Amino acid sequence: MSSADKTILSVKNVKKHFPIKEGVFQKVVGQVHAVDGVNFDIKEGETVGLVGESGCGKTTIGRCVAGLEALTEGNIYFDLPSDKIALLEDSEKQDDKKVSAEQIEEIGNSYDIGKIEGDLFNHYRRNCQMVFQDSFASLSPRQLVSDIVSRPLRVHNVCPENEVIPRTINLLEQVGLGAQHLYRFPHQFSGGQRQRISIARALALDPKLIVLDEPTSALDVSVQAQILNLLHDLQKKRGLAYLFITHNLSVIRHMADKIVVMYLGKVVEAGNTEDIFANPQHPYTKALLAASPDLQSEVTSGMAALDGAIPDPARPPQGCSFRTRCPVAQPECGWEVDDVVRRLEHKDSIFNFLKEVDQSDAFNAKFTFETEAAANQLMAAMKSDDIPDAMKKMVSKLNCDAEHVTVSFKPAKTVPLIACGNGSSARCVLVNK
Amino acid sequence: MTQDSRTNSIVINGLNDSAFKVRLNRNLEIIQSVLANPTTVIGLVIVILMLMMALLAPVITEPNMPDPYQMPRDWQAARSAPLTPGHVLGTTNRGGDVYYGVVWGARTSLKLSLIVVCLTVVLGVTIGSIAGIVGGKVDEVLMRIVDVFLSIPELIFALAIAAILGPSFTNIILALVVVFWVKYARIMRAQVIRIKQRDYVDAARIMGDSKIQIYLKDILPNSFSPVMVQATLDMGNIVLVGATLSFIGLSEAGIAEWGVLVSEGQAGISAGRWWASTFPGLMVFLWALAFNLVGDGLRDVLDPRTETKR
Amino acid sequence: MSPDTIYSSDSLSGDLIASVSDLKVYFQSKQGMVHSVDGVSFDIVDGEMMGLVGETGCGKSVTARAFMQLIQTPPGVLAGGSIHFKSQKQCKKCTGSGCDDCSNTGREIVDLLSLTERQIRELRGDRIAMIFQDPGKALNPGLTIRSQVAEVFQEHRESDVFERAGIADTMSGLTSYLLKQYVRQETNFITKLLLKFPPFSLARKKVDKAINGLVSDALAETQIPNANKIMERFPHELSGGMKQRVMIAQAIACNPDLLIADEPTTALDVTVQARVLDLIKDLQKRHKTSVLYISHDLSLVRRVCDRVAVMYAGKIVETGDAETIFINPKHPYTQGLIKALPSMTHERGKLEAIEGMVPELIEPKAGCRFASRCKQKKANCDKTDPELKAVSNKDKSHKVSCFLYE
Repeated sequence: MSSADKTILSVKNVKKHFPIKEGVFQKVVGQVHAVDGVNFDIKEGETVGLVGESGCGKTTIGRCVAGLEALTEGNIYFDLPSDKIALLEDSEKQDDKKVSAEQIEEIGNSYDIGKIEGDLFNHYRRNCQMVFQDSFASLSPRQLVSDIVSRPLRVHNVCPENEVIPRTINLLEQVGLGAQHLYRFPHQFSGGQRQRISIARALALDPKLIVLDEPTSALDVSVQAQILNLLHDLQKKRGLAYLFITHNLSVIRHMADKIVVMYLGKVVEAGNTEDIFANPQHPYTKALLAASPDLQSEVTSGMAALDGAIPDPARPPQGCSFRTRCPVAQPECGWEVDDVVRRLEHKDSIFNFLKEVDQSDAFNAKFTFETEAAANQLMAAMKSDDIPDAMKKMVSKLNCDAEHVTVSFKPAKTVPLIACGNGSSARCVLVNK
Repeated sequence: MTQDSRTNSIVINGLNDSAFKVRLNRNLEIIQSVLANPTTVIGLVIVILMLMMALLAPVITEPNMPDPYQMPRDWQAARSAPLTPGHVLGTTNRGGDVYYGVVWGARTSLKLSLIVVCLTVVLGVTIGSIAGIVGGKVDEVLMRIVDVFLSIPELIFALAIAAILGPSFTNIILALVVVFWVKYARIMRAQVIRIKQRDYVDAARIMGDSKIQIYLKDILPNSFSPVMVQATLDMGNIVLVGATLSFIGLSEAGIAEWGVLVSEGQAGISAGRWWASTFPGLMVFLWALAFNLVGDGLRDVLDPRTETKR
Repeated sequence: MSPDTIYSSDSLSGDLIASVSDLKVYFQSKQGMVHSVDGVSFDIVDGEMMGLVGETGCGKSVTARAFMQLIQTPPGVLAGGSIHFKSQKQCKKCTGSGCDDCSNTGREIVDLLSLTERQIRELRGDRIAMIFQDPGKALNPGLTIRSQVAEVFQEHRESDVFERAGIADTMSGLTSYLLKQYVRQETNFITKLLLKFPPFSLARKKVDKAINGLVSDALAETQIPNANKIMERFPHELSGGMKQRVMIAQAIACNPDLLIADEPTTALDVTVQARVLDLIKDLQKRHKTSVLYISHDLSLVRRVCDRVAVMYAGKIVETGDAETIFINPKHPYTQGLIKALPSMTHERGKLEAIEGMVPELIEPKAGCRFASRCKQKKANCDKTDPELKAVSNKDKSHKVSCFLYE
């Protein structure tokens, strides 16, 4: 395909933070970093898979791309011409101001989905649709299938009124349903059929990109296969691009050309599907593969299952966010004071006598205990096996002064996405070592 | 027109009929499941009888001219017992025919409850929808106002307003509207907030439909059933509160209204003239009971929470 | 039913712990009787992990709930069949020496379906325990983890509590009465007041401590870090994986003979799922508990279970060794299920989906339930029900219900 190289969607450094509100006056007390600096592109006719566990921000990204959420930071460009892409890339790389701020703003005003208006926005709306996970909740229970599927046609006045129903029938036939299903309510269908109706609705405006948010997670395996086949057929016929969001690795391996693995709002690994499955670079990707029952015993046998819980996204770890659960954590991963608490809070009684913590930044803190013994206990624990060696190496200062314990870590940088050949990249200090 | 498209349009016209049929069938199904509950049927029968009485009032009694809503006075036959010729249910001590009062009282009650319910539903749904959709500070302010209204007991609040406005039937309607709209605002707000998070609302946003259309097509129809249930229950409650206000004397004197009639008859009870209070009182009781039975039946069928239990 | 008909089969003679035979559970609906479970028979060998696999609505959860008499009647109807269960308790008739009633095993055999409410309550949570799919819904949001796990001990292990408190021998009269009331949580105003004063309060504190110890042990068993702290938390303060661990702790607290796990990891993330699976497997091995593992995920069942029964539309279509079924499936439905799993061997868009839908189970007609979707359908498939028969004479344990193998 000649058009295969045209980028349809560019996600540039997208951040989405949700405020945590508390109290009567709904004061903002913190931010949940649901999506924290995500970049990827989708080309025409290709499928990009977005994988990760619940709470990693993959659904939020999908909603951002579909225009349901306003971004906190960053841009999502739709249908950006290739010369403009080059311009944007130049502006990122160089400081010599070859690209003026006005140029960037102009690009934003005509392609950034958060800024465009009028016809430009309509163009985006018609070309980017979404299919949801829960087919019960995504079809209004009081509307007939004919109303649901024909609605996009009516909203955009695609065709004269007398052609609406024939076109609706045509859409239904494309997803394996027919005219006999027009005048029924959604609840009269099975889960798979309802998902077909959702897909027909998404196809109505002949879009270029469809965001698929866990489209088969609620379905049985046999039905899932039907839907996956249907999605692929439609893609081939219409040259659709998919953003396929799922937690199911075998589904994503089957469907996606490229994969973006997310963890705690960040991309930890991205690349071609075969590369990632054949040769995963990031320990998190390896752990995910090891944990999937139908994928094990291939590359990743021997990889232990993950311990611990995902850290609080309101206080995401500095450095590499996966190091709190990483079986191969390194000194360079960016250890911080919070890790002391994360590692030791399960131990009884260490922090029971904690009076206050004076934390100047992420890497320095002074713990004040009620008793000297408690302070000594922390000191002992810091030297015990509960603290991984990689972390111990990064401790620059560990002092005990009566009931005060001062802990300092060597500051470390955020781990960037490092290219590791074949166009894939991983956010891990071990890459290329 | 080519042969092909013509046959197509015939097919489609046929299908359009079936869309109507499908909707009708669905409504029939709902009605059927409402009727499956015997207590609801009892309530419904009473409601229908009451409505017929109200609508046919000019046929089953001779309207008192010029204002049929005023009780006819037959001073000669005052204080006659039931089954007196011409006064089947007896008369009050001021010569009002109890039968006439009962029949035309139904008409008054219907008028009262319909006007109040319509006004309160419109007012409450509007305010509740605005609070739910706009959210933020608007929501906060509107809901605090609602809280203030809700913190005062219904009856006392209505009584106070009616007393301030002065005794008249119109003022009772006004007082009841002021008291009853808050419930609808609350219900509607909760429903709107629930429904607007649904995926089908998101889907409508993605296809680029306007906010008004989304409200009218998705949010309103899907959040309306609890409002309907409450409206049915309130058809009964309003008459109950209205009759109480009339009984106290906040309505115009001499009007054919059950509360007024009870109040007119109460002086005679100690003298053994039970009928003047009993029959209109019974009517108030039956009216409120019937609408509550129907409302409960509707709730069982329409309320999504009980729906999932089945 | 006479004892003959119940135990005449060789059902529980060997090392079986439970035997389901011809179980039929129907549900009343407006359109007619829904045959959710329609003649299901399978055995669970003592100490094994048995998998029950099937898609939504195939009746696997209903079967599991029937074990615990958790089916609401009405609308449910127990239309027939039996579930025989052999607990660790001694046979009441022969007190362990072996008789006809207990197929000479010396252990008590009961039909779970015909037990009274009281009898089944004694078994539930004690001899048979259950883990549910959604731990968020199965735990009471208003009680601490401690009191929810403690409930199991209070209900079934009163003597253990007293023994652990070290007051089992010394208890007498009023103390014994009061403490039993206390443990059973049946205290009233007066007993509560009495328990506030010595010597009763001292004994009560010992009992509290004993319960705490038992609960913390049970939680530690499921590898919950810092069990003493977790105990005082409420369910909403825990993550999904942690809640599932609490549920497991609750279920295994009394060391049951049979553990029924109804999709215990479906609501969890893959990495957490792997840990929970390992945990269940590990506990099963250590305590020699038999497990009935219910799941829609065939590859997962293959990973953890010894034997598998595949259900479709209320019937068992194939049963046998987990590996055998996965590598050499016989029934067209099982074959379809395995082929439908997305994998690299399939070209994209060429997954072998099972076309069509699960048939309506309202008053079903005779014939194989899978016939409407089967690619190898034969003439008699629509007419008569195939029986579950051994595939070959060599492998008696691999059974399939399909006319292709007759």
